Amino acid sequence: MAVVGRRFSRLSLPAKLFAVGLPVLLVAGILTVAVLILALPLVVSAAEDNLPLVRFLVAVVAVLLLTVPTAFLVIYLELKLIARMNLRIGPDRVGPFGAAQSVIHGLKVLTKEDFTPSGADRLVFTWAPVVVFMATVMTLLVIPFAPGLFGTDFNIGLLYVFAIGGLTIVGLLMAGWASFNKYSLLGGLRSAAQAISYEIPLSLSVVGVVILAGTLSLNQLVLNQAGSFLDWYVWQQPLGVLIFFIAAVAEANRTPFDLTEADSEIVAGFATEYSGMRFGFFFFAEYVNVFVVSALLVTLFFGGWTAPFDWPFPIEAPLDPGSLGITLLFLLAVVPVVATLLFALPFWLGRSSTPFWQALIIGFVIFNIVAVAAVLGWAFVSFDWVVGLLWFMAKSYVFVFVLVWMRATLPRVRVDQLMGFAWKWLLPAALLNLFVTASAVVILAELQ
Amino acid sequence: MDRRLKRRLESRFADRLAGPIRQRHDETELRIGPGDVPDVMRALHDEPELRFEILADLAGVDTGHAMQVVYHLWAPTTPDWLRVIADGLSRDDPRVPSITFLWKGAEWLEREAYDMFGIIFEGNRDLRRIFMPPDYTSFPLRKDFFLPDDAARSPGAGVRQMERTHVPRDAPATGHIRRTPAG
Amino acid sequence: MTATRQPTDDSARYDIPAHASADDPRVLLEEQIGVYEPVPPFPPRTEREAEFYTVGDGEMLINIGPHHPSTHGVMRIVMKIDGEKVVDLDPVLGYLHRGVEKICENADFHQTITHLDPLEYVSSLFCEWPAVMAYEKLLDVEVPRRAEYIRVLSGELNRISSHALAIGFHALDLGGLTPILYSFIERDEIVEMLAALTGQRMLFNYFRIGGVNGDLNHEFMSRLGDWMSRATTEINANLGLLNENEIFVRRNRGLGTIDTETALRMCWTGPNLRATGLPFDLRRAHPYSVYPELDFDIPTRAEGDSLARYLLRVDEIKQSLRIIDQCLQQMPDGPVMAKLPRLLRPRPGRAWAGIEGPRGEYGVYAVSDGTDQPFRFRIHDPSFLHLQSFNLLIPGNLMADWMAVNASLDPIMGGVDK
Repeated sequence: MAVVGRRFSRLSLPAKLFAVGLPVLLVAGILTVAVLILALPLVVSAAEDNLPLVRFLVAVVAVLLLTVPTAFLVIYLELKLIARMNLRIGPDRVGPFGAAQSVIHGLKVLTKEDFTPSGADRLVFTWAPVVVFMATVMTLLVIPFAPGLFGTDFNIGLLYVFAIGGLTIVGLLMAGWASFNKYSLLGGLRSAAQAISYEIPLSLSVVGVVILAGTLSLNQLVLNQAGSFLDWYVWQQPLGVLIFFIAAVAEANRTPFDLTEADSEIVAGFATEYSGMRFGFFFFAEYVNVFVVSALLVTLFFGGWTAPFDWPFPIEAPLDPGSLGITLLFLLAVVPVVATLLFALPFWLGRSSTPFWQALIIGFVIFNIVAVAAVLGWAFVSFDWVVGLLWFMAKSYVFVFVLVWMRATLPRVRVDQLMGFAWKWLLPAALLNLFVTASAVVILAELQ
Repeated sequence: MDRRLKRRLESRFADRLAGPIRQRHDETELRIGPGDVPDVMRALHDEPELRFEILADLAGVDTGHAMQVVYHLWAPTTPDWLRVIADGLSRDDPRVPSITFLWKGAEWLEREAYDMFGIIFEGNRDLRRIFMPPDYTSFPLRKDFFLPDDAARSPGAGVRQMERTHVPRDAPATGHIRRTPAG
Repeated sequence: MTATRQPTDDSARYDIPAHASADDPRVLLEEQIGVYEPVPPFPPRTEREAEFYTVGDGEMLINIGPHHPSTHGVMRIVMKIDGEKVVDLDPVLGYLHRGVEKICENADFHQTITHLDPLEYVSSLFCEWPAVMAYEKLLDVEVPRRAEYIRVLSGELNRISSHALAIGFHALDLGGLTPILYSFIERDEIVEMLAALTGQRMLFNYFRIGGVNGDLNHEFMSRLGDWMSRATTEINANLGLLNENEIFVRRNRGLGTIDTETALRMCWTGPNLRATGLPFDLRRAHPYSVYPELDFDIPTRAEGDSLARYLLRVDEIKQSLRIIDQCLQQMPDGPVMAKLPRLLRPRPGRAWAGIEGPRGEYGVYAVSDGTDQPFRFRIHDPSFLHLQSFNLLIPGNLMADWMAVNASLDPIMGGVDK
């Protein structure tokens, strides 16, 4: 035993990890395989019986996995775009054009010291970021990203979105109260007041759309806007889209309504006492919220995943790989080799300084790029959900850009001016919009 | 160098002057005793011929044998600066009436003079330290200020919370002048 | 003056709390730390303290600073707030107090110039100027005309850069991230110019008793000419970013209004006073240097609120450009430094000099006792008095309005705390 211990301590760190990890992995792998072999038929039959549940679980996992890259992308966009608007460059060291900056921010936030201030209410303090983050993420479940690509087709989807979105207020209040800090308390109260004030115009502004569509289901709303861009609800509800946009920016705590995190006033507002991953939750939740707000705007008013004109794709391509049979295997074996050689040849023949093996590597890389591009192109052409997803993302990111642009340009509104604006201007405007829409619908129905 | 101003001041304040009015370059200097400060300043401020409405500065000076409070004033009636020196304050218990009744802005200037010299401005509503920590026990700009002695009693020596520093058991409730042991 | 005193050990007189940590009896333990109320350590020592630290029903004391992004330095404001509304304020200064006046009493006359730069660090030349003027009065030195023109030229450049910074920070404190970078374009160019002239980008140490330290050089002139050719359009574009922004205007208009009489009673000077309507500018009221030969206006605004102070600073930049233009045209030839002995021993006497800095009247009162060190060196800073007026301007408004008022008054804590 002592001999083993001595020899173990002489190994380098990677070797130690290897020496410990490999037997553990082997044992775990064998166990897993055994369990799977024994249990797989049971699992498969259970899944087949509850297909919607399985689908839902997959959707939930996908949405959770989607939030972090989305947050990373939105953070990166914000840093770079605001920098460009400020005549600066923005992050450009950490990856190609600074693209890995957000990832590094994420890692940094994970490695910071995580503490609870003395005097703080531990339970509430710990759960506040969770509430805020989950409330933001759960709204993504009902948004249709593409035909057939949504978490669940709730027939009260829109109501669900606003209900869950209201949970963020609870989270902010929890954070502000539990921090045992006057700044946090002020920030939490301010944010609660702001969010509550803007909930009402937000909900009222989409009632016009609901009246026009006759349904609360987001999927159905998008399908109603299919066709061309003239079918989008933005033309039929111009005031509604304006009110929704302003109220949604206020709900997302973005400038000019970002006094909850007004960092030149009350330092970090409700998040003053948070550090490490808890702060990371708030941070990510804010940026996912930016995406959610844009996604909602696009879904409700700008056609969701529908294309603005008659998009000829998807084409039913007369390509059926399965019909090739054994030729498929043969092709899969031969084509990569042939293609690699083909792409390598110009480099080997054209430049005398390139050894053959280097040319082969270059050829392989080029083959990979071409193959991936071909597969993506084929997917784009033949699967309508790829097309829909791309259109949805493009439109959403246009509005993400607009939100980031607003942050770079506008100063902050004062809290009483903000509340005054919500109650005295947006609420009457939303009611007016509702009234006009409803009367228009009734009158047009009478006329026909 | 405004001769007319000198004559006007000499005629107006003849009985209060503690020394001749000196002029040099573009400054006129007036010396009075500390008790005359409110009357003289009010006259300088209010009288239509003088109208020294802008208080440019209020400073304390420790000349080694006495303390002074030096006021600098500006008026649109004369091209000179006016310096009023309230001379003859004792170094052990310097007291001057405050001019906050004329210029509210002098409150902080007097606080600074108190903080640095220990000059008590009678009538100032808020005479507490402004730069040094609130329970600092010395007056830095005095000529007999001795740093190591002061640092031993400095509240910054090791206590974490600056606001909860310790109160000497016999400290009176209001600020007081620390008497130097040497007299 | 007195005999050396021995340090006394007063620990027995102090009230050391019973629960002390095992290793250090002066450290307070966790259970003693309760609510961090910014209370004073003694019973209230003055009327004002008693009035302020008596907290009414529903009010609470909150600390703004000293670590705070918008305090323009290190300053602590204890605010008594009722919800979001500010009821009273007590600024606590001294976090940046460096004892400059005492240091200067132990330094030569030339050395004191370097000690003065870090006071109002964004406009360092204006910190040096009254000191050299006071010394020149003590020594009866006549400054060559070329040196005076160079002083005015570099001073006005510094004024532009200081106002640009003030404008940028005004916007930043209100939440706009972009205008500060645009105003720093101006500041960057000017700072590079002044670096070519003085050798330093920020704490210039350029003025000397009897003149300036070095004549204009090619690099400075080329940079200056380059910049002047596009200055007006650039300044209009960059610094006018906010003039018509609805959010900015609404947050500043009608805020922190003060009338001329109150401002004079609070000893205000500079752009803050001129924004109330009184055209009091020391360059015209008590002309010094070569300002009598230069033609420029004194911009004023009548409203006296934060927006007026902001717009006035933009106007002053334009006037400074006029002055720079005239300086360049009228610059005489000659020496840039008067002939002085190396060791300066003025006659015993007193001298005061006040100049118009970007924040107001910056003054130095120097007392000489015949030795080569000043006997008393008093610095008068304008921001010190502007900060005193918080109690007049802010109660009744919201906490966010404090940021706007503070930014519009443009204090620099280095000067306030000396």
